[in-house]
Amino acid sequence: MRRRSLLAVLAVAAGLLSACTSEDPKDDSNAPKPGTLRVLASSELSDMTAVFDRVREDTGITVRPTYMGTLDAVDLLARGKADGAYDALWLSSDDYLRLRPEAARKVVSETPVMSSPVAVGVRPATVRELGWKPEDVTWSQVDRAVQDGKLTYGMTDPARSNSGFATLVSVASALSGAQSALTDADVAKATPRLKEFFQGQKLTSGSSGWLATAYRRRGTVDALLNYESVLKGIPGLTVIRPRDGVVTADYPFSSLASTDARTREDVRKVTADLRTDAVQKLITDTTHRRPVVPSVRPAAGLDTGRRRELPFPGSRSVADGLLDSYENELRRPSRTVYVLDTSGSMEGGRLAALKKALTGLTGDFRDREEVTLMPFGSHVKSVRTHVVDPKDPGAGLAAIRRDTDALGADGGTAVYTSLEQAYDHLGTDRDTFTSIVLMTDGENTAGAEAGDFDGFYRALGRDRRDIPVFPILFGDSSRSELQHIADLTGGRLFDARQGSLDGAFEEIRGYQ
Amino acid sequence: MRRIAGIVLAVLLIGGVVAAVVAGRHGEDKGTATKTVRGVIGSEKADFFADPDVVKALAARGYTVKAEASGSWAMEGLDLKGYDFAFPSSQAPADQLARKYHVQEPLPRPFYSPLVVVAHRAAADVLAANGLAVLDGKNRGTLRTGAYVDAARHDRTWQQLKGAKAHGELTGTLYIASTDPESSNSGALYLAAASYVANGGKVVAGEADLDRTAPLLHKLVSVQGAQQSSTDAVFRDFVSGAGNPLVLVYESQVAALLAQRHGVDDLVVLYPDTTVNSDHTVVPLNADGRALGELLSTDPALRGLAVRHGFRPQGDAAEFVAATAGRAAYLNQKLTGVRQAPVPTSAVLHEMARRARG
Repeated sequence: MRRRSLLAVLAVAAGLLSACTSEDPKDDSNAPKPGTLRVLASSELSDMTAVFDRVREDTGITVRPTYMGTLDAVDLLARGKADGAYDALWLSSDDYLRLRPEAARKVVSETPVMSSPVAVGVRPATVRELGWKPEDVTWSQVDRAVQDGKLTYGMTDPARSNSGFATLVSVASALSGAQSALTDADVAKATPRLKEFFQGQKLTSGSSGWLATAYRRRGTVDALLNYESVLKGIPGLTVIRPRDGVVTADYPFSSLASTDARTREDVRKVTADLRTDAVQKLITDTTHRRPVVPSVRPAAGLDTGRRRELPFPGSRSVADGLLDSYENELRRPSRTVYVLDTSGSMEGGRLAALKKALTGLTGDFRDREEVTLMPFGSHVKSVRTHVVDPKDPGAGLAAIRRDTDALGADGGTAVYTSLEQAYDHLGTDRDTFTSIVLMTDGENTAGAEAGDFDGFYRALGRDRRDIPVFPILFGDSSRSELQHIADLTGGRLFDARQGSLDGAFEEIRGYQ
Repeated sequence: MRRIAGIVLAVLLIGGVVAAVVAGRHGEDKGTATKTVRGVIGSEKADFFADPDVVKALAARGYTVKAEASGSWAMEGLDLKGYDFAFPSSQAPADQLARKYHVQEPLPRPFYSPLVVVAHRAAADVLAANGLAVLDGKNRGTLRTGAYVDAARHDRTWQQLKGAKAHGELTGTLYIASTDPESSNSGALYLAAASYVANGGKVVAGEADLDRTAPLLHKLVSVQGAQQSSTDAVFRDFVSGAGNPLVLVYESQVAALLAQRHGVDDLVVLYPDTTVNSDHTVVPLNADGRALGELLSTDPALRGLAVRHGFRPQGDAAEFVAATAGRAAYLNQKLTGVRQAPVPTSAVLHEMARRARG
């Protein structure tokens, strides 16, 4: 419940962030321009560049996407913030949109352009060990393999990624034994089984791209749950569409009520072009999605056997309830150390921004989550750990806010020494999604050097090396220094200079 | 509270549903003096009015039509000032519009199209093996509405049907996927047909009938979960191999698809033995609108083009039969064995949809 009210806040942050991550920072992506469609799009569509180029050739219309998670995009629409800022909407699916009437009424027409079902991508060796015939595998079998400790997997965060949400609905529908659209009762009944199933989830990610990278790096995870199109793009996976049903994304290109007739005509032209045989063929060949016209065959390697379509929940209470229980109950909890630069240079506006961002996050921490605040200057100033206890979540969150409020800026910048201390703090004894967030506004000036840290990290045990650092670029910090830390530890760099600190912290939530 | 929200929503939806379908033709006049008529149309006719041959045929008779698409049920709340006609996809919303704008009956009904259920072969065979459908060929059959309603009432699943086991995709509750009845015409007409059957072969009129049929209709809708808002979308999903095994669409969509493409080999078109026609009805708002309505009804070239788009022109079944001769394996050209259920009044249908969704 808590996190839902927060979505509104988050959407703004995500919006700012996304708006600012367009390739050319000088390019004002919010200004309307004739011949350009500003499209609010699911991040899954970032593989469509070749198709956008083709559409421009065919129609003279430029598609300019701004990528955002589905829930955030729907929230933006619902609050009227997309009015005038976007000319069209292109989500992986409008299923969730339909559950939010105030968002749904912003949409005039929806035209499915392509489709991709949720699937399980498994290492061929694991398929052999399990004795699976890929075309016959059911969710029950996947579940059994997880319960038997023979299958671990990664998936994207359902709160931030459409692929994660569709995966969650597929799994919950299949494992609950629901014969039709999920109800609250189905979810409640399936909770124990789902909880066991999600014990097998060893990787979480805010985006499909990083999920694939982390999967390759880790090397110990057996499978990924995602859209078939994403899995087909990762070499060496056996892609299984479970026989007992999937949720399929149909990528409807949608026009918006807030736009004028001329814009909607451009949307219609683009949609018509996307459904021509030539473009449908380009789509399936380059993105592994399935065409929606019968005259174009799915790309080679896309099995055409039919699957049951699992109905998507028909009410917001079921969908949000499922999401809520995933975050707070079903998934393994997260455990994070926030290594926070509070050196002298943070004094004033920067420290205020940090406090605001951290305080904002307290609305988003999940039940059972363990949060450690490790502010540093020339050395680590304090190590304070709080747990969001499901019985009294308010207490832990209030304590985090109190500690945040008490942060003060002084001293130098001991980035590497502090990071080493964060690794020391994090044992690997607990079953959690463990990670480190590093926020710094300057270059390392005290304590261990970069080379020292490299040596320290390489000497860590295997389990600890699996703990990624997510550095946030802020103020005068060095991109190359932080990128190196991200690359070394298998994390990802977030840029709060282009966007906001709130936005960066929030985006990292998907990876925790 | 929820109900009130639903009504408010329905009203608000109206503002959002107007889309320009044929805009931007300014400056393309080729010197032929044509009269421009403006109208709002159901979205399933967008392809028809955008067809260059239709544009040409209309121009030959002196008309340029500027059509914007809108949900048929949403037209009621639109400000139609400055428009010459409305062209919803069934009679109930048309009659309501005619009353509102004091339009003289009869209204021109140039063409119609029955609701049909599309299925893949495997699903159709299982239905037939279990007495839910009768197939009269490889690609065509009749859905026994009474048996289907009965199965729905008892939460029958595919697994309980003989022969479903051989097809992994045929599991879960047996249901026909339709569009959202509160915003889309085909979804509303589905309820009209089902309620007629559930009401013992009588059209639902009044509170008692609504009460009696509501539990079943709610079931037919709620099992589907989130519903699509346009018939085009559900049909696309079906064509791409996604979605439910049974999908309710307009015959015109199937006929248009068959006209364009060949080798939809696996498709079976099931005509419910009790169905409802989508009567595409012109509501003329002035003399120009009426003239256009008459033209669409009488001009042989335009009637022929309507058939190309899968519609059945009123009054002369032979035209459709002749033009679809090559598609007879799929289409029940003469609608043999198909009974038309009358559609409840607009107010009753609205209430029915609201309760089914609620």
